Amino acid sequence: MKTISIIALICSFLTQFALAQNELASPPILRVTSTLQGYNIAQPWEKSAPYNRRGLGIVVGKNQILTTAEMVADATFIQLETTDGEKSMTAVTVAIDYEANLALLAAKSGEDTAFITDMQPIKIHDHAKLNDKVTIFQVEDNGMPLITTGVIRGADVISSFVDGHFFLTFEIKASMQSASNSFTIPVLKDGKLLGLLTSYDSKDQLVDCIAPEIVNAFLKDALDGDYNGFPSLGVDTASTNDEAFRAWLKLSDELGGIYINKVLRNSAAQRAGIKVADVLLKVGDHAITRRGYYTSEHYGQLYWSHLISGSNTIGQMITLTLLRDGKKLKQEVKLARKEEGIIPSHTYAKAPRYLIKGGIIFQELTLSYMKLFGDKWRSRAPIGFLDALNNPQDYEKGRKRLVFLSRTIPTDATLGYESIRTSIITKVNGKEIADIPALIKAFETPGIDGIHTIELDDNINKIYLDAKLSDKVDATFLQQGLPSLSREKE
Amino acid sequence: MKMFKPFIIASSALLGSTIISSAQATPAPAPAPAPAPAAQTLAPAISTEDQVKASIYKSIVKIEVATQTADYKTPWNSGRFAGGTGTGFLIGKNRFLTNAHVVSNNKRVFITMHGSARKHKARVLHIAHDCDLAILEIDDFTPFEGLKHLEIGRIPQLESEVRVIGYPVGGDRISVTRGVVSRIDFNTYAHSRADQHLVVQIDAAINPGNSGGPVLQNGKVVGVAFQGLTSADNTGYMIPTPVVNRFLKDIEDGQYDHYMSLGISEFPMFNPAMRKVYNLSEDDPGVLVARVIAETPAAKALKEGDLLTAIDGYDVDSSGSVMIEGARVDMNEIVERKFAGDKVELSFARDGEKQTATVELTHFTAAQLQTVQYGKRPRYTIQGGLVFQPLTLNLFIAQRLDSPRIRRLIARYVSENIFKEREDIVILTSVLNDPVNEKLSGFSGNAVESINGIKIKNLQQAHELLNPKELPEFFVIRLDGVSRPLILPGKNINAINQRIQQTYGIGSPSFLTK
Repeated sequence: MKTISIIALICSFLTQFALAQNELASPPILRVTSTLQGYNIAQPWEKSAPYNRRGLGIVVGKNQILTTAEMVADATFIQLETTDGEKSMTAVTVAIDYEANLALLAAKSGEDTAFITDMQPIKIHDHAKLNDKVTIFQVEDNGMPLITTGVIRGADVISSFVDGHFFLTFEIKASMQSASNSFTIPVLKDGKLLGLLTSYDSKDQLVDCIAPEIVNAFLKDALDGDYNGFPSLGVDTASTNDEAFRAWLKLSDELGGIYINKVLRNSAAQRAGIKVADVLLKVGDHAITRRGYYTSEHYGQLYWSHLISGSNTIGQMITLTLLRDGKKLKQEVKLARKEEGIIPSHTYAKAPRYLIKGGIIFQELTLSYMKLFGDKWRSRAPIGFLDALNNPQDYEKGRKRLVFLSRTIPTDATLGYESIRTSIITKVNGKEIADIPALIKAFETPGIDGIHTIELDDNINKIYLDAKLSDKVDATFLQQGLPSLSREKE
Repeated sequence: MKMFKPFIIASSALLGSTIISSAQATPAPAPAPAPAPAAQTLAPAISTEDQVKASIYKSIVKIEVATQTADYKTPWNSGRFAGGTGTGFLIGKNRFLTNAHVVSNNKRVFITMHGSARKHKARVLHIAHDCDLAILEIDDFTPFEGLKHLEIGRIPQLESEVRVIGYPVGGDRISVTRGVVSRIDFNTYAHSRADQHLVVQIDAAINPGNSGGPVLQNGKVVGVAFQGLTSADNTGYMIPTPVVNRFLKDIEDGQYDHYMSLGISEFPMFNPAMRKVYNLSEDDPGVLVARVIAETPAAKALKEGDLLTAIDGYDVDSSGSVMIEGARVDMNEIVERKFAGDKVELSFARDGEKQTATVELTHFTAAQLQTVQYGKRPRYTIQGGLVFQPLTLNLFIAQRLDSPRIRRLIARYVSENIFKEREDIVILTSVLNDPVNEKLSGFSGNAVESINGIKIKNLQQAHELLNPKELPEFFVIRLDGVSRPLILPGKNINAINQRIQQTYGIGSPSFLTK
């Protein structure tokens, strides 16, 4: 083991010598140690056990440290440390984008920031090219840099930390080794920052790295003090490379275009009047191919969504060229942030809302809840939940979130209901349930007989609770140490 | 000699349908000629008890079956040819009782008498997949004339000893094992996968080939051996006599009419708030009617939210049980014991008002979506290489359909009356790759919602829409939960179909007969 690390050390020295001409002697890298603690999704009134994550950050401006969102999502404590471990201080998150997987940190007020302000902030590239040579910076326990070189093999629009949100990412071929700070590793080119490493596949020796276009857009947005996030069109698309389908759509051979499968509720596309079955031919001046790609300046073929989210800001107007019923039309769209929909794709920095009534636990459905059903949750989760996830349009009426009965604790008030779990709630005391606050309000007015009526989408579609008895039961939960019977604010 | 593991279905195992391989290939050694007794006095005296036992053996027959099992993945093919053995026994003149699963999907059935080499060609006279029983008859009954007809007895006592007789794997001749009755309970019948009836568990070794054999006590049949458990040793299950007797009574009129069902799902009436809403005191009987399935006997009288208080005068308690002959059983047991055309009296309360209604019982066919089908040729139709099949449990298992939308359709097919509008749920099961459909293979495993704008109700209709007299410019096929329609060109489709049929070796582009 020892020999190996010595060899590694020598190698890194050698590499550094080789690169000395082009690289900064020491890029402004800091160790980041965070303590993360999220909520227990199954028991939303409590938090899960805290755990630590160690990674790196890089100074990009005065008291501005860039790292990934994954490093500091749900952080209760963030510490920054020089690579040699000599100096440290507590940091706070200034801006965070879970979808793009980026976060900007700053010293907590009152901390001595001198050692950071002394560091020369790193400059950031505007873009890269395929086959560019890059250096990946890690730090050994003893503070020595561990440098790996790699080559940009490809650029793709993929999701990193949160499923379903796609951003320009480089695929870099590099043979890395694990070091003490394996999260969030800066990737440099010619002494300037290219992006942050988000994952490494040791089998294929491939690195995913957030592209500088995304980093720059994030920083620009974050530094004005009010973070807005990346824009999205809010559509789901399908390719048009099927000849019969093209003929039916009246798409002539010289046209590319992708079929609009779904238009999300309250999205930029919906507000602009884009319809299902439209064909998107162009975004701005860029023609879209049958499979959804356009020819980018630096990276060859890129997926069309980068033209929206990676190249524009919220509120910006863009022009789309569409084919509707065989006729071309131009459509101005004012870009907006992606709506989270009735089932949010993530719940970082949010406390899950819930209500306990007489022993029945009500929650709002999130992707994190569905993932409690294990790796195969896409087939194992309750069918009703999967259906709502795949076909939200069938559930959106009257709802902001999908409120469901997660389980039933056996109490005097829930006698006979023990088997009811994971059922979607339709009404309580005759009122539609948009979210947990609406549910809490609906429970405030039981029927004149002092009975709550709960309507649900299950084998039994109506159950009842005695209002007085459930209040009595709820009081015992509080006595037994439950912190609160509900959480109304996220 | 190779030992056979039970044929596994769900957690239970069927015991009859083992495929004969080595057992059949190795000829049984000819019985050695019995040496002539040296002296009369040395020969053991044959007691009458042993004579009775031996005479019973002759009435217990070996059943050899050749089967053809449809392959729902390639419905145009002939399916899989195989075979198996089981046991049966004589219960009347030319009436052999056995399990339905022993003779399911059969092409040919032979019966062999104990101690004889002659194979008698047999026919299935009645088959009841829901209770896994069947009656066979043979062309020439003469050799069996005069043999004892086994008598059907009662449910054996717990802990009492029983004998299982049959022709299980491990040899060619008759085998006898003994065991003790260890449990009497309601349990799933693995053959249909959906039906639950009374089951008696015994600790005798029951093995493949025992299926359909009698379980005897004091010379009378107390059950029919039918399934085992793969996860536990020494557990055999038999069909007890009430189920056997019900089957025999059902077929008295010459046809099997299945079990009757009331057509409701109930919810226990334990909750104090629920009882308050229904104005019930602590001792009041009644279970909540949670769902009423359309076109069932219950639909003629009951509504969701009614309180069912009594069936045929038996008080229904708040969990849905009734007391019959001193035992607390599920209220559906009253209906289970009845036959097609029998009436049942329902007492219920609606909006606090007591009512009574008498309804005639019928068999509910829509529930068949949830049971395995046997002896049927799978239906299908193919257009442009797209294979369409109606959803059955067989198809669901064969194709491993896992789309949540389809699982939801199955789960709600009966309870939400989807069957009223969609007699068949037509599934795009596979795409036979061809230039005409090369981009469509990812869409298989979804249900067809409409073809050319017309909602699909059954396979026949889908077939007609896909094969109109005049070909349209396009066939527009919309799938449940899939936004993008599938498009097939009408032009040249007949030539394309011929090409696909030839490439994939498909004899007929459709089979629609139910």
